Amino acid sequence: MQRRRQLLRHLRRHPLDSALSLAIVLLLAWALWATGQWVVEVADWRVVSANLPLYVSGAYPADQRWRPLVWLGLILTLTLVTLLWPRPRSGQRPGPMRVALPWLWLLMLPLGLAVLAGGAGTGLTAVSSRAWGGLVLTLLLTGASGLLALPLGVILALGRTSDLPVLRHGSRLYIDLMRAVPLIAVLFFGQLLVPLFLPVELEINRVVRAVVAFALFASAYVAEDVRGGLQSIPPTQREAAAALGLNAWQSLQLVVLPQALQIAIPALTNQAIGLLQNTSLMALLGLVELLGISRSLLANPAFIGRHLEVYVWLAALYWLLCTAMALLARRLERSVQPIPRAPGR
Amino acid sequence: MTSRRRWWLQALVVLIALTLLGVLVNNLTVNLIRTGLGLSFRWLVRPAGFALAEHPLPYAPSDSYAWALLMGWLNSLKVILAALILATLFGVSAGAARRSVNPLLRWLAAFYVGLIRQIPLLLQLLFWYFVAFLGLPSAPNSTGPLSSLLRLSNQGIELVGVPLSVEFSAVLVGLSVFSGAAIAEVVRGGLDAVPRGQWEAFRSLGLTEGLGLRRVILPQALPAILPGLSSQYLNLAKNSTLAIAVGYADLYAVSDTTITQTGRAIEGFLLLLLSFLLFNLLINGGMQLINHRVVKGRQRP
Repeated sequence: MQRRRQLLRHLRRHPLDSALSLAIVLLLAWALWATGQWVVEVADWRVVSANLPLYVSGAYPADQRWRPLVWLGLILTLTLVTLLWPRPRSGQRPGPMRVALPWLWLLMLPLGLAVLAGGAGTGLTAVSSRAWGGLVLTLLLTGASGLLALPLGVILALGRTSDLPVLRHGSRLYIDLMRAVPLIAVLFFGQLLVPLFLPVELEINRVVRAVVAFALFASAYVAEDVRGGLQSIPPTQREAAAALGLNAWQSLQLVVLPQALQIAIPALTNQAIGLLQNTSLMALLGLVELLGISRSLLANPAFIGRHLEVYVWLAALYWLLCTAMALLARRLERSVQPIPRAPGR
Repeated sequence: MTSRRRWWLQALVVLIALTLLGVLVNNLTVNLIRTGLGLSFRWLVRPAGFALAEHPLPYAPSDSYAWALLMGWLNSLKVILAALILATLFGVSAGAARRSVNPLLRWLAAFYVGLIRQIPLLLQLLFWYFVAFLGLPSAPNSTGPLSSLLRLSNQGIELVGVPLSVEFSAVLVGLSVFSGAAIAEVVRGGLDAVPRGQWEAFRSLGLTEGLGLRRVILPQALPAILPGLSSQYLNLAKNSTLAIAVGYADLYAVSDTTITQTGRAIEGFLLLLLSFLLFNLLINGGMQLINHRVVKGRQRP
């Protein structure tokens, strides 16, 4: 009753605000109705439902499709475990499962590469990376280039903040140049130029070239985020480390970097999400990751004109992946916390 | 570190970098000799031979590659400038809406930002082009009161008498909506940097929300907003290269065609790098001018 009276008074006092609210409500109602009607009545979802295997793993041989599925299943399980496993209470050290989780996540990448490639040592039939595609390729591109970009970026950030002029200016030149060019150009020239700069005999495939180009590009952005973390460590920390008798390397490794990286984690998460979204650019360069496979499906006469269905489906998928990544990063952040916070802080 | 150790460390790094560079350049020379291409820019004056759908200055396929690249550069500049303005409009509105007193408006702005930022820009551009703009009726809507202001059809858009191509419109809208969401976050951060007391002060003075925002809050938030804004502008300029996906003849699209035709990848890359350095300089310069004026304006009593 009280609330209702308050609402009425608010409406009387601010007619403009009320008109705005009404307009928004009407707009939302109309948008919901139109979307609902389209999803149920107009849209023809066969372009999605008939091609689910392609969205999952691209042109991966049909009799081997269980391999990417097993890998995706493992990732899904790990995601659920990470999200649902009880969190340590503040002030307590995380349990063994929490400590193991980041390592399990790290393990997923080599495992995925091994399961998908197969061949010698795994007892599985070898499948060329040319046949990889869909969601699996998107995830592998993101994971591999992210893992490569992180150490590169940390090294660049250390160089950028070093007091040795050669290191500082060299890193700065690289970071500034990389941040000045658009990603699509880096990727395009990665495909085109990397072979030019390598010995004639050495031929590397398109997926590897893409990963290298992504990593080189992302490392410049990672470097800036890590530099932000490094700069926020007060000089007293280094001084304290020096006073304890740690040398420069130990102080960096044990005191400065862990804290700097922890501060940089939210920014790095954003970079990782950006990386996942940017893997879609490889569709323009002929890889059949999620967007690439959709483009080739839309070129199929059977599904002509079904753009909206495909784009809505892809948007939902990317939205889900990005949101899951943000959630996971927030959860994992707690497990990798180098310095457990004191209770009450 | 002692100065001798510092010196040796730097010498070592230089040595490693030079060795790496030497190996790369050596491989490059071997490969260039093998493919029969030396580094040269003479191809720039040769006729390009391809048509451009859009060119702000007269252009024909018989014109040189250099002229074609200039057209691409101008097309990029055109879409970047227009998108800068539109994205700022979207971003400031959405950012301010997230701190509005109206809960529905807050929620709507949060929905816009949360949705747009989690979907790849390329996908959004494809949506705007293939679904939104190519899905328009084929004949312009000649009736209705709006028809003199805005004519929409899948042949092109006419805004107050100015004809715009479908490709340009799709890139413009896609880029602006995407960058607008990022700018909204910057604006929100800037607004949050203004002490709460300032909001309460203008509200208790009886100023309307719009007036208080314009006269009290935004001037104080601007110094916190501008650095983030200029980095979003630089992102926008770089992201405009995705225009190639919808066939807009921007600098990157023209470079791409040029490189495919001439095989001059390294020279093309150098030119592209220079052009983007120029874009960045322009944006940074402009933002510094604005920043200067804002800081100066604040010092006035």
